[in-house]
Formats: sequence, C-alpha cells, structure tokens
Amino acid sequence: MNKLIALCAAALLAGCGATTTIDEYRPNNQIMDINSEQSLVILGRRDAGHYDTDREFIDCVAKKMKGADIGVFPEQQFVDAIYPWFEPRTAPKGLKRLRRLMEDAAIKEQVERNGIRYLVWLDGSTETHDKGGSISCAIGPGGGGCFGFAQWEKSSIYEAIVWDLTNLTEKGRLRVDSSGTSYLLGVVAPIPLLTPVKNDACASLGTQLKQFFTLDQPL
Amino acid sequence: MPTTKITIFSVLLTVLFISGCSSSSQVQIDSKFPTVVSKPKPIKAAIVFSEEFKSYIANPNSKTSIDLGSAQTKLLSNAFAGLFKQIEFVSAATDVSFDNALVITPSVQEVQVSTPSDTYLNVYEVWIKYSLDIKTADGDQVDSWFMPAYGKTPDSFMLSKTNAIEEAAVIALRDAGAKLLLDFYRIPSVYNWVVTEQIPLDETEVQ
Repeated sequence: MNKLIALCAAALLAGCGATTTIDEYRPNNQIMDINSEQSLVILGRRDAGHYDTDREFIDCVAKKMKGADIGVFPEQQFVDAIYPWFEPRTAPKGLKRLRRLMEDAAIKEQVERNGIRYLVWLDGSTETHDKGGSISCAIGPGGGGCFGFAQWEKSSIYEAIVWDLTNLTEKGRLRVDSSGTSYLLGVVAPIPLLTPVKNDACASLGTQLKQFFTLDQPL
Repeated sequence: MPTTKITIFSVLLTVLFISGCSSSSQVQIDSKFPTVVSKPKPIKAAIVFSEEFKSYIANPNSKTSIDLGSAQTKLLSNAFAGLFKQIEFVSAATDVSFDNALVITPSVQEVQVSTPSDTYLNVYEVWIKYSLDIKTADGDQVDSWFMPAYGKTPDSFMLSKTNAIEEAAVIALRDAGAKLLLDFYRIPSVYNWVVTEQIPLDETEVQ
C-alpha cells in the first residue's frame, strides 16, 4: 500500500515538471569582450499592445546572472539615465535606429559614463490557456470542504537579443520556450500541484545568458 | 450589551464596510522625472504655464480625480529645456520678455482612464491629450499641435486602483515628454519657422 502511495505521489510530482527548450544563436565564434568596469543592462520590450515583458521576469534573469564576472545595470536606472530614448515610444527596435541614437554625443556619453557595454532585450510573456475541470468548495455547520479537479496549462516564451553598444552589432539571440500543466485537486482540502513554468524559463534563460557572456568558447 | 449600543456598533460596522467598497479614487502624482538627455537647439522660447495648467486636476469620470498640475509642469519644463537653449517660463503670454522667440502655451484637452472593470483587460490605462498653442513673440500663430500621451500598467495584480492609476499616469507623462522631444521639430510649421529664421539644424540630432 505504501509503495502505491509513493508511486502515485511520484507520478503526480513528475507531472508538475515544466518542459523547457533553449535555443541559442551566435553569428560568429568570437568571445564576448567585456572588462571589469563594464556592465550589461537587461531591458524589457514594452511596445506591444497586448502584453508587456514583465519587470519581475527581468529582475529574475538579472539575479540568475549574478556570479558571473559581469555587472548587471538596473533596468529602470538605465532608462532614467537616458530618458527619453528608451521609453516604449522611442526605444530602438533595430540596429539601424540604435546606430542613429548612438551618433548623438549626449546619448553616447551617458552610455559610456554608466559603463554599459551590452544591451540585452527581453521580449515575451507567460500565458495561461487550456483551462479545464471544475472545483467547488462549501461550508456548513458540520464543516466544509472542496471537491473536484481543475487543470490549466501555462507557457512562457521569451527571446533575448544581445546588442553590443561599442561595435553596434548584434552578438546573438537566445530563446526559451517553457510549458507545463498545473493541477488543483479538491479532496476536502484543496491541494495545488503547481508547475513553475515562468521560474523554469527564467532559470534556464539566466543560466544560458551567463554562459553566453562567460564561456571562452561558444557552445 | 444594551440594544442601543449594539445598533450603533452595527451601523458603524456597516458604514465601514460600505466605505471600504467605495471605488472613488483621488490620485496625487508625486513621482520624480528624470532629466532629459538632449542637445537643445539655439532657439529662444517662452513657455506659458497658466495657473490653471499648474494646478490642473483631471476628472476623467465622476469617481476619479487625478492631480496632474505639479507633475506635468515639472515634466514639461524639463522636456522643453531639452528643446531650447534659451528658455523662460511665465504665467501669462503678456509676461514674455524674449524677442524673436517661440511662445508655447500647453493646455490639457482631455484625460481618459480605463480600468479592468471597464475593459475586461488586466491593465489600467491613462490617456492625456495635450494641445500646444505655438506662436511667435510677435503674436503670429505658428501652429496648434495636438499631443496625445498614453500610459498603462503592466498588469493589475496586487495594485490598488489609486496606485494603478498613478502608475499609468506617470507612464503617460513620461510618454508626453518623449513625444515632445521626438516630434516637436518634425511639426512642419515649426520646421519652416526654424528654416525661415535661419537657425542651424544639428545634423547628428536624433530623428
């Protein structure tokens, strides 16, 4: 009997794991050139109408990159330091526009003063879909409880594009695609079995970005 | 406990509950705005911030009021300083001391707010529609420029209505500053005035 319970628990927990895929692209095999006085900034794309790349995810990726010999400049501090050229309306969407921006002496000076060498654009979102099942809870004089079963699927798709602010070139792209199903069981008490899809996406992307900037040779 | 006290206690509790459910919001914008990174042009301009503009309180609907006056004056002062090398701020057009300058009078045409209960979207949104009345120091009309600005919160999770509207309004004000710096010299009539006055345009300026 104990073995059966253990098997069931293992099967349930295994079902809560997210499936995560990382793709990396580098246009060449050059190692990332950065010194101890330089840093990178991770910026979220916020020009789409229906979603914003959330700050929580950007902070999470920045935290995951700690430990590498590379400083991560805070996003809001960078956006304020260079106001208004990285607002949703004005942020460069391509390298052509970035090169035009960097021709402005005042903007270039601000970038150099803050020691920003690389800019990492993060674009994406986490969405919930395929909701199913139902759960209901009731309470009465004799007690209460929840009965039922609900499930939903989450997917996180984020792309990171690395720009070099010195050479004004693109250094690479990384894409993380993570998905998983979460469950809520109502067996008197509600038992949530949540799949940390967004956390998985963040951890995978952060680790890969760290390698991107620290490995001598690309993978 | 006597019946009267129970009644008073119940009434108080009910009032407390009802006031807790009230959805009216009075928003005060206290945020600071960053200094603009921009090389001003060698142009003189007088900016007319009327008392009405400086103390403007928007009422986008009967339940919401947003005190924009102080924040928009600070934000636009900062943005205009990034456009013109010589600048003066006055309260009325009659106080302008510059000759051969632009006289710009900003005003708010409309403020709109949308909440998740209005749109079923998971965001709060604020639109501010500005109008810039642009004249020369001699009183000749150059243009009347409509300048819309937009701000939205990333989501509405764990945000009170007041805080969410404030956040969206701050983003809208920052957007107004960005639009002003990006587009002001692209206004055809302003560009023509600059060319007529033979003011040199910086070739490296971001357009």
